[in-house]
Amino acid sequence: MLDALLPILLFSALLLAAIGAVRRVRLWRQGRPSRVPVFKGLMQVPRRYLVDLHHVVERDKYISHTHVATAGGFVLAALLAIIVHGFGLDSAILAWVLLAATTSMLVGSILVAKRRSPPPSRLSKGPWMRLPKSLMAFSVGMFVVTLPTAGILPEGVFQSGVGWFTALALAAVIMWGLGEMFFGMTWGGPMKHAFAGALHLAFHRRPERFSKRNGGEHRSTGLKPLALNDDHAKLGVEIPADFTWNQLLGFDACVQCGRCEAVCPAFAAGQPLNPKKLIQDMVVGMAGGSDANYAGSPYPGKPVGEHDGSPHGPIVGRDGGALVDAETLWSCTTCRACVEECPMMIEHVDAIVDMRRFLTLEHGNTPNKGAEVLDNLIATDNPGGFDPDSRLHWAADLNLPLMADKREADVLLWLGDGVFDMRNQRTLRAFISVLRAAGVDFAVLGNEERDSGDVARRLGDEATFQTLARRNINTLSQYRFARIVTCDPHSFHVLKNEYADLGTADMPARYDVFHHSTYLNQLLEDDKLMLKAWKGGSVTYHDPCYLGRYNGEYEAPRSVLKALGIEIKEMARSGYRSRCCGGGGGAPITDIPGKQRIPDMRMEDVRETGADLVAVGCPQCTAMLEGVVEPRADIKDIAELVADALIIKTPDEKAAQSKPASAAPRTVEEVTP
Amino acid sequence: MSELVRRDPRKEWIARNRLHPQHLEVLAELGGGAVASEWMGPNGVIRRNPHAAGFIGPNGIRRVDRSGVQQAAQSPGRSVESKDARRPVAIDTPAFMVAVVPDMTGGRLSSHDRDLLGLARQLADADVTQPGAVLAIVFGEHKEIAFGEAGIDRLLHLEGARFWGYLPELSVATLQGVDRETAPRYWLLPDSSIGGELGRRLAARLGERPAAQVWQVEAETKSATGWRCTARGAAGRNDITRALPRIVMALAECADPVSETRHAAEPIALSHGLPDMLRRIEDMGEVAVDPASVSLAEAEFILSAGNGVKDWDSYHHAAEVLGATKGASRVAVDDGFMPRDRQVGATGTWVSARVYMAVGISGAIQHLQGIQSCDKVVAINLDEGCDMVKRADLSVIGDASQVLAALVARMEQYRAEQQENRDAA
Amino acid sequence: MPHDASNTSVSHSNASSLNVTVLVSVGRHPLTARTRRADQDARAVEMALMLTGASVSLLHAGQQDSDHEEAIRGYLGMGIDSVGLIEQSPQADVVPALAKALRESTPQLVLTGTRAETGEASGVTPYLLAEALGWPIITGLAAVEKIEQGTAVVLQALPRGKRRRLRIRLPAIATVDSSAPPARQSAFGPAKRGELAHQQAPSEIDEDLATWHIQPARKRPKRLKIVKSSSARDRFKAAAAKAGGGGGQTLNDVTPEQGAEAIFKLLKEEGVLR
Repeated sequence: MLDALLPILLFSALLLAAIGAVRRVRLWRQGRPSRVPVFKGLMQVPRRYLVDLHHVVERDKYISHTHVATAGGFVLAALLAIIVHGFGLDSAILAWVLLAATTSMLVGSILVAKRRSPPPSRLSKGPWMRLPKSLMAFSVGMFVVTLPTAGILPEGVFQSGVGWFTALALAAVIMWGLGEMFFGMTWGGPMKHAFAGALHLAFHRRPERFSKRNGGEHRSTGLKPLALNDDHAKLGVEIPADFTWNQLLGFDACVQCGRCEAVCPAFAAGQPLNPKKLIQDMVVGMAGGSDANYAGSPYPGKPVGEHDGSPHGPIVGRDGGALVDAETLWSCTTCRACVEECPMMIEHVDAIVDMRRFLTLEHGNTPNKGAEVLDNLIATDNPGGFDPDSRLHWAADLNLPLMADKREADVLLWLGDGVFDMRNQRTLRAFISVLRAAGVDFAVLGNEERDSGDVARRLGDEATFQTLARRNINTLSQYRFARIVTCDPHSFHVLKNEYADLGTADMPARYDVFHHSTYLNQLLEDDKLMLKAWKGGSVTYHDPCYLGRYNGEYEAPRSVLKALGIEIKEMARSGYRSRCCGGGGGAPITDIPGKQRIPDMRMEDVRETGADLVAVGCPQCTAMLEGVVEPRADIKDIAELVADALIIKTPDEKAAQSKPASAAPRTVEEVTP
Repeated sequence: MSELVRRDPRKEWIARNRLHPQHLEVLAELGGGAVASEWMGPNGVIRRNPHAAGFIGPNGIRRVDRSGVQQAAQSPGRSVESKDARRPVAIDTPAFMVAVVPDMTGGRLSSHDRDLLGLARQLADADVTQPGAVLAIVFGEHKEIAFGEAGIDRLLHLEGARFWGYLPELSVATLQGVDRETAPRYWLLPDSSIGGELGRRLAARLGERPAAQVWQVEAETKSATGWRCTARGAAGRNDITRALPRIVMALAECADPVSETRHAAEPIALSHGLPDMLRRIEDMGEVAVDPASVSLAEAEFILSAGNGVKDWDSYHHAAEVLGATKGASRVAVDDGFMPRDRQVGATGTWVSARVYMAVGISGAIQHLQGIQSCDKVVAINLDEGCDMVKRADLSVIGDASQVLAALVARMEQYRAEQQENRDAA
Repeated sequence: MPHDASNTSVSHSNASSLNVTVLVSVGRHPLTARTRRADQDARAVEMALMLTGASVSLLHAGQQDSDHEEAIRGYLGMGIDSVGLIEQSPQADVVPALAKALRESTPQLVLTGTRAETGEASGVTPYLLAEALGWPIITGLAAVEKIEQGTAVVLQALPRGKRRRLRIRLPAIATVDSSAPPARQSAFGPAKRGELAHQQAPSEIDEDLATWHIQPARKRPKRLKIVKSSSARDRFKAAAAKAGGGGGQTLNDVTPEQGAEAIFKLLKEEGVLR
């Protein structure tokens, strides 16, 4: 009887799965069109899965092994089950392999069950608690049913007497297993992640993120430009169907592992954001319904079950109460920790900025100081509303070479909006003294420089970003320089990764951009600087998100500190896991209240290392971390540390270049107005 | 009473001589009841109050002046100062009139009014052979006694119940009547919220094109009126120089106030009655507004609290009594003592108050940037070395709640004095 | 009566609902002089949008060029569908054209900023309109409390955050200044899509303008403290006294009362005590 039943079960499960798949695909296709190479993408899936995805999963060894055993076992077992039991191919060898596969799967599912007893808070409960049992049902059922084929149990053991009942029970167990694994995969069960995830890997919106066989940089962090010319197109994402279809597919691939939740600084600070819930809300919106069935941690302070949406209903209502509250979207610091951690390679930040674009460009609803900052950017090219002609006032005594006079230079020093901030002026002074000591040929744009557009873009004001960027590109195109160096990772990222999209044939906007830590490291490697030995206390280093996760620069700042003779006391969360200072993505501007402040948490991380000083490389981080109430560790930019350790060159060299004499670290007095 | 003050050289000599047996007695007499620094105690012991000795020097340090000059200076040298050195002027038959409508904020001539009257005098006195007269038109009750000193030759005081409250339509109709009757050569009004409104109404009514935001008037022979004026235009970004029109709304400090002459301020009345008119704007009275609700960026007096404030009730009370807008440092906001919209600093609101009083704020650099454009900064702090004290124009080192309490007490005393004065007036 | 290109707007509707017209002008940023929506006019639009049940229309009279159009679009971005544009030559006095448009559209309430950010910016335009139309005008509108039976009860802003309640007969003109609630953000999308309804009107050239001399504002000299004293010693002391600024005064080791007295003195000198 089982011989007859099994193929029926198998093929009807497959049929239902196929119907479900069509339905699911139609859900995704509600989104806006997006061209992808279908065949090429599908061909890439194994590599993207085995290399790129696995690379992320492997950061947690336990779950990595578990997943290999479970998923590997399941794929093999499912294929063989169809051949052996579906088509009735009576091969002892295949049966043995099938037995091995189901055993592997069983071991995996036991490990899954162990991880979930009790489950850590980041994992979703609900149907996900059923999954290990379903996995066991499938693997055990298949194992037992295959035993006769493999010749371990005599043929026909399930056809008489007790065997009948065993067979019935087995059939039920297998039905459960098949239901979860095949039917559930396309009808919205936990196994959906396998189906959607595979296709998501194939049709990912940022194929550049995946490694190539021949190596090379594989990082894609710049936001995608928004077409503003079309007078009738809606700007940004208002309803779930406004996402591109492969974004929706990406949301559907979420496995609810909660790694994003565990690293999200806003979630930890008690701000109403949880990246996992946000992605699930997008899935709820895409399919229609309420978030009541969501079984993970909610947005802090917002109970589950009060929000609902539909594919063509608004995500954020003008008066709240739709799928997501606006403050959820404005809590994000765009630190990209969630994207970095996501084993499914979902692009949370893109989605958040897309929705912010709608709120800013169509609703005109940027919260708190957002509107003011954007108005300032439009009117004065800087977020603080300062006179754009006063950009160089801080450096009146420095006699900075201007690009407008020199026309060309080796290094174009991009100063950023920190020129208006007294704290950052100290960093800039330090860096300039180092450049002079190293005899670098540099020049600044002075009053011709404008805000890079970073804040405007993260606040969703793509129009202002593009205006600022185009004007900057225009200015840059007039001068000749080998590279741009900046002390601001945000400008660095935007210049390096986001301007290129806005370049034109006559004005290509591809620049060789360096963060000052990278450039300092080069100067040190070229022996252009002589440094005193470090005499201060212990030091830790805070990775800025826009330098580290966005641009992969973890090493240069560390080797600069090493060259200074500093041994870094690393924080528990450093490198790609560095915790945001809370200053990115316009978060200090939109200022969504939480239970605690993100910089306070970061300084707590610092305190745990016992370091007396935090080295930073970003004006935002400096401002945010220095805002923490004392007692706390001192905060110094890498440029300041290098400038403090500079040794003035030997007298004859000094005579050769009299200027750099002033490069001795000068203590900048705080000028009170 | 005679204005003459009689000096007694002998007593002054005794006051300077600390060893003179009558020194204290005389000092008390001359000092008009100042606190005695020494007295005979009940047991015949000389008691000395060290706090009463000396004075606070310009750098906040107590100085004790042994030379006696200080004590002597205490003697009210009132005489010389208050002697009226002004030259009386009477213009009986003016060649023309210059009409001024002062704001009379608080019932007195404001400094803006006085500047404007100074300008009016310039216009009236330009030709000494044919002096004009300055006519001031005052609506409602007032407490001013020195119209003549401010340079007013003629005073038209429109009083009575019909001039109570906000009556722009009646006022402008009255001014129109004045214009018909006296045909002033110029109308000058302060370009403030009161005078600016009235001036524009008058200009529209008389069909004259006025000059607003005038800050300079100079003689100019080429111009039709013999004068040219410079006015701010385009929201303060341009200067417009043009012939002086008939109706001028001028900014504060457009001219120096009258200081050397005293004018007649002779009351006149309108020969025709006042117009009776339909009132389309009805004044329903002032509405009480909480000063705390004034936005920080506009506030002119901010009492800002930081980490050093421990007694929040007394802080809030002090802000109320002082009538100050409340501000806060970032820490006070983060700790939940103050709402976010009250945060001052580079990351909060940039303020431009006339007086910014920082209580228990040590002065993080972001905060100091936010108060860059404040005129005067007062710091109350325990730490003498903090950055806010370095920035402040006046710092009081001490416990915030005690100083605030003392300030509140002082303020209440001041209020009481004011009340008395008002009652007396 | 010449006043150069500043304000305008118009709409028409039936008498049943409240018809509000906001006159808007092209503003200029105080620092960079870039064109933008004028701050006070934008506050007037905000005030109009906050009136429940009002049909709001915007009117601008002035010169037409792309810079100005972009500034006017700033108002559309506040959620307005269309702005009426009366084309005028750059030297025109816009009052006649505006008065005519308002007379035709008969709104019950006209709102506008207190003064323009460009041109003469004398702030007389609303008064001239009121005079021309025979309507009452009030200044410093802070809030509209209610509108009934042809009258409006409003709050007028006085200096230092005080308010006065007024009842005015409609139709009326009201100006708002910076004490009115700040304008909402102008969104790029609606601003781009909104409609500019062009209307033609003859321009009356402002003749006086040609006789004026206009230049960038000079810094006003700060008035010196004049000390009139008959005593040479006093005059000398005043002249030699250190100007304000310089090192601040620090009172250490004083009783709270003495500290309070010093502060009180400063507060009184600065005139911030009411």
